[in-house]
Amino acid sequence: MQKVTGKLYSAGSNASVNCILHNSNGQIRVVKDDDLELSVPLQDILLGVAIAGQAQDITLPDGSRFLPDDVSFRLTSLSGVGLLERCERHKGLVLSAIFLCPLLLYLVFFVVVPSMAASAVTLLPNSVVEATGRQSMLLIEKMALEPTEVDPTQQDKINALWQDSLNQLKLDKEKYRLGFYRSDFFGANAFALPHGQIVVTDELVAKLAKHPEALRAVLLHEIGHVEHQHSMRIAAQSVASTIALAVVFGDLQGVAELTLGVGSVIMQQQFSQDMESQADDYALHNLEAHGYKAADFATALKLMSSDRSTEQDAWSKYLSTHPQVGERIERALNYQRAK
Amino acid sequence: MDLESKEVVETTGSSTHTREVRFTGDARSYFSIWLVNILFTIATLGIYSAWATVRNKQYFFGHTQIDGHRFDYLATPQQILKGRLLALACFALYVVSSSYFPLVGIVLLVAWCIALPWVINQGLRFSLRMTRYRNVQFSFKGQYKDTLINFVLLPILSVFTLYLLLPWALKRIDAYIHNNIYYGDKKLTTHLSTKEYYLIAFVCFCMAVGLGILAGIAAFVIGISDNLLETSQLIGVGILFMQFLVVIIVASAYKAMVRNHIFENSTFEGVAEFESNLAPIDYVLLNVTNTLAIVCSLGLAFPWAKVRKAKMLAAATVVHLNPDADEVINMQQAQQSSFAEEAANVFDVDISLT
Repeated sequence: MQKVTGKLYSAGSNASVNCILHNSNGQIRVVKDDDLELSVPLQDILLGVAIAGQAQDITLPDGSRFLPDDVSFRLTSLSGVGLLERCERHKGLVLSAIFLCPLLLYLVFFVVVPSMAASAVTLLPNSVVEATGRQSMLLIEKMALEPTEVDPTQQDKINALWQDSLNQLKLDKEKYRLGFYRSDFFGANAFALPHGQIVVTDELVAKLAKHPEALRAVLLHEIGHVEHQHSMRIAAQSVASTIALAVVFGDLQGVAELTLGVGSVIMQQQFSQDMESQADDYALHNLEAHGYKAADFATALKLMSSDRSTEQDAWSKYLSTHPQVGERIERALNYQRAK
Repeated sequence: MDLESKEVVETTGSSTHTREVRFTGDARSYFSIWLVNILFTIATLGIYSAWATVRNKQYFFGHTQIDGHRFDYLATPQQILKGRLLALACFALYVVSSSYFPLVGIVLLVAWCIALPWVINQGLRFSLRMTRYRNVQFSFKGQYKDTLINFVLLPILSVFTLYLLLPWALKRIDAYIHNNIYYGDKKLTTHLSTKEYYLIAFVCFCMAVGLGILAGIAAFVIGISDNLLETSQLIGVGILFMQFLVVIIVASAYKAMVRNHIFENSTFEGVAEFESNLAPIDYVLLNVTNTLAIVCSLGLAFPWAKVRKAKMLAAATVVHLNPDADEVINMQQAQQSSFAEEAANVFDVDISLT
């Protein structure tokens, strides 16, 4: 038996009257000031949200609504009610949440999401990879690339070296394409798109002009990116983490600002450092396997990083996602010795 | 939408009513609700966020009282979850296509711009419909065409006038939103003055310039006197933080002044009039200290900051109720809303009514 005073708001207007509510034997009785009485079975009422410091409102079948004066009043004998409120009042749970939240976040974003993204990529059909590559290339071409100024004889030389490498690696010549472009944005650089398009900038060609074997090593590194589907994995990773962030932080006010930027950037860096090592390994392995020297790759890295200070801007973009150059040169040299 | 500033009506009683708005929540109880919301949301991979939203909103709605009657937030977790799933599907479509097919992404972006006024309308409609005071719901009756003009075309136009038209455009937006709000069958009427908006904009502009000069001098002095700061990164962070503070200061001052102006010029015909005495300097200090507290506590001070803000906004608000007002009739069907409204609500077109 419960008894509580409160206000009864009439259905469909803002009028209200004071009254008393009785709850006994599965029956709700509301007695108004003018002694009019309303009786309703317990299962026909609708309870509002139970939340700390607020009365839980009781909506009657006719649309009128009873709000107890006592903010801590809760209607008894309905199962499952107030579970959330109990959780919020549980001091142990609240305190442990301070530590559990960051821990769970770490698990979700650094363990669950990356592994899901990696396995999703292997399921993508080839046509998607092709379309992705083409469209990205179109955009990059429009925004950052200009026609090459490398002289045709040198282009022919490099193309011969390229065909030679493809033959040795037994790779599809339809798929893998090499392109030369001038680009102020990328500086001395090479990059690969998921459908097999590999781009080498004029500056890189100039820098490695006297070391064709080093250029070969760079090309192998880029082929490694394509063979391991790295661009697709990065895209999947960023899609998955963006969506996960949107879901988890859709309504967690205040947390989003703190975590959003930082988390996704760190994750991507981690991801691409692994990828660079993987592509390095591909290049080193194939250099040795086809009778070249793994040290060629070290030469390429040394040459590319030689006058970094003069091209700080172009290089900081590239280097930020690449492992320390020194370490990589070291690894290339050790790779050779290990053989 | 900021509920702390929600409007009100009173019909019963016989004497003239001047009512202050009270906020009865406290940082301690909100802290547990907030933290449990976060924990459960992460643990359920976001599904609980729908429940979290309801508890969050209801906490602030239910603790805001006028004349001893509280506000209610009516949306159910199921409604929010449904909408959120649809919105998520759209968002996923956009993210996937823009990462894998950049060209399709651009097309979708254009489509989004066209849909934006509709989304804003639906979002406003939902949040007002889900707001109830004394068993009567609010509603919003804006049209696509007007939203397109006020929210998209005029702001773009103002860019081409070197932002000289911007205060006028902002006034149009505020006037448009408020003049389409209904409480039951009573319409809110708001008369805003363009002159006032230009005055406010001028004050804010002067503040921004003044603070910018001050920040520049401070950075210069620190840079000279402290050689430890020669690492450009640290200076970069410092400058970024100062810019951030300047934005908070100017935005707070703007909000406080505009809020006062809007409240003083809004009435629910024959039902209620409003008054807002929010001193811009108080509001600026509140927001600056709130931000510092949140940053220094790694986010843990967020509930305290939010409750503190709600208290200040409530304390600055006065409602004059007309004792002779007729009964206000609820025009909405209980908790009904359209699926489009629910979905649009998720894009969080958060148009503050402060």
